[in-house]
Amino acid sequence: MSVRVVNLSFSYKNFTLKVEALKFESAKITAIVGPNGAGKTTFLKCIGAVLPASKGSLFIDGRDIMSLRSQERARLIGYVPQEHDTVFNYQVADFVLMGRAAYISPFALPSQEDIKAAEEALEFVGLSEYTGRSISELSSGERRLVLIARALAQKSAILLMDEPTTFLDPKHETEVLQLVRKLAIEKQKTILVTLHSLEMAVQYADSMVFMKNGEVVASGRPDEIFQEPLLESVYGMRMKILDWNGRKLVLR
Amino acid sequence: MIGQASKRGKAWRVFFLALPLLLFLISLSIGSYAISPGGLYKTVISLFSPSSHPEVPDAYRDILLRIRLPRLLLAVAIGAALSVSGASLQALFKNPLVNEYILGISSGAAFGAALSLVFLGRAFPPQIGAFVFAFVAVGVVLLISGQAESHFISLLLTGIIVTAFFSALLSLVEFFASPYVLQALFFWLMGSLSLASWKDLAISLPLIAVGLILLFLLRWRLNVLSMSDEEARSLGVNVRREKMLVIAATTLITAAGTSIVGIIGWVGFIVPHFVRLMFGADNRLVIPMSAAMGASIMLVADDIIRGVSALEIPIGIFTSLVGIPIFLALLKKTKKVWL
Repeated sequence: MSVRVVNLSFSYKNFTLKVEALKFESAKITAIVGPNGAGKTTFLKCIGAVLPASKGSLFIDGRDIMSLRSQERARLIGYVPQEHDTVFNYQVADFVLMGRAAYISPFALPSQEDIKAAEEALEFVGLSEYTGRSISELSSGERRLVLIARALAQKSAILLMDEPTTFLDPKHETEVLQLVRKLAIEKQKTILVTLHSLEMAVQYADSMVFMKNGEVVASGRPDEIFQEPLLESVYGMRMKILDWNGRKLVLR
Repeated sequence: MIGQASKRGKAWRVFFLALPLLLFLISLSIGSYAISPGGLYKTVISLFSPSSHPEVPDAYRDILLRIRLPRLLLAVAIGAALSVSGASLQALFKNPLVNEYILGISSGAAFGAALSLVFLGRAFPPQIGAFVFAFVAVGVVLLISGQAESHFISLLLTGIIVTAFFSALLSLVEFFASPYVLQALFFWLMGSLSLASWKDLAISLPLIAVGLILLFLLRWRLNVLSMSDEEARSLGVNVRREKMLVIAATTLITAAGTSIVGIIGWVGFIVPHFVRLMFGADNRLVIPMSAAMGASIMLVADDIIRGVSALEIPIGIFTSLVGIPIFLALLKKTKKVWL
């Protein structure tokens, strides 16, 4: 499913997010990058209805879904938060099952179909053996995978991921991003992911959106827009892009 | 596979779910006037067929029907109500320290019931006043604390202030009460099951049942509501509407309970905590197990009170004296600050 954002805005205190027009292709990965405070997370949250956008339209396959009820919207858009702060120590299986909330009446229990969807999601992220473990026993890398599995159980065509690789070591960072790619290819998910690592963004994303001060500065395919002057203007510092066997490396 | 529990786990669940029934039967024979199990059996039979056991004294039937049965039913209902309401509110506010007392619900209900008893008399059901003011109290707490940045600390502080305000209003009601009513009010406020009557139960039990059924049906949803509001929203939950539903149900059962037994503290804290330690955090289990364990603990507490001496300590004092040290020990053991 393709996503189109038109005139989306959101204000909180003295920060304003304003996105005039942006399109995300179906079954592709779009990396949203920019400095801290650029509005990347706020943008994702507005699309996912986690935060209420003050105005604007959000078209999914040409249909404006801004006025949809939260339950219907959650069946279309899944959101993976940056971290989950555990207050109650749920088991991995129970946690992933919560991804089915949009399909279950508030007064009902998960059905066999819901349990199957959660099991499949856990299998896809490679954590089938972890169903009985509690969330607090997991490493931060495993916890990210569980968060992704929960969104996967939601069976939405669009996935929003907020910095899924922050605080991860290089091995887990790569594992998570390979999983993101697998989701786009095998599950045909349209993925919007905020990232801090520019190298990873260039390597894994089909397109990139650069944000600064709540606005989109540039968007397009990495090979078209990933240039030193753009990086310099977005991050306010000199950066050098090196080409190493087809991979882009950023020196600063 | 997801949702499979071990055989041992299942056996424990069945045991704890059946425990209130067992304790109920045992409790029927305990009291200042002890009735042996055999005597109890004959009394129950004679209730249905008076000619079958003519030797059963009338006093037995009176004790059973007018004193013990309503009292034990009330103990079961209050234990389940307080524990389920505590567990639900803790999930909803994402904090194992929250309960109906912290949110001002108990003090609002106590004030409403006292106001009704003093100015409208015993004939008017105190449950109505209790529910109205419990709702006002929790509404004020949520309205004020909801606007603050640090949610739990502001919730705690607003809860303390609103509780203090309703306590002051309660004192004002006591000031205007006649000495006779004041004495009853004083005893009731300490939390007592001894005032149980079929008349009170006829109103409170259905209300508690409605609230408990609602929370039982919402038990899986409480898992989702225990996530951050942002997460719950992204999972497709209408957070505001479902939060209101849970708060309304907990306010209903607290008001229905408080209006006849006064304030009984700490059960709503301790029981869900133990249940989570034993059965995990999944509210599909926490809610029914809290109901069963809350009912069992209240029955045992009442048995101790009735069995130890003829001079009955109000159960509210007993649960606080026992509950606070347990709670402190738990707090020290977990070494966690939930602010």
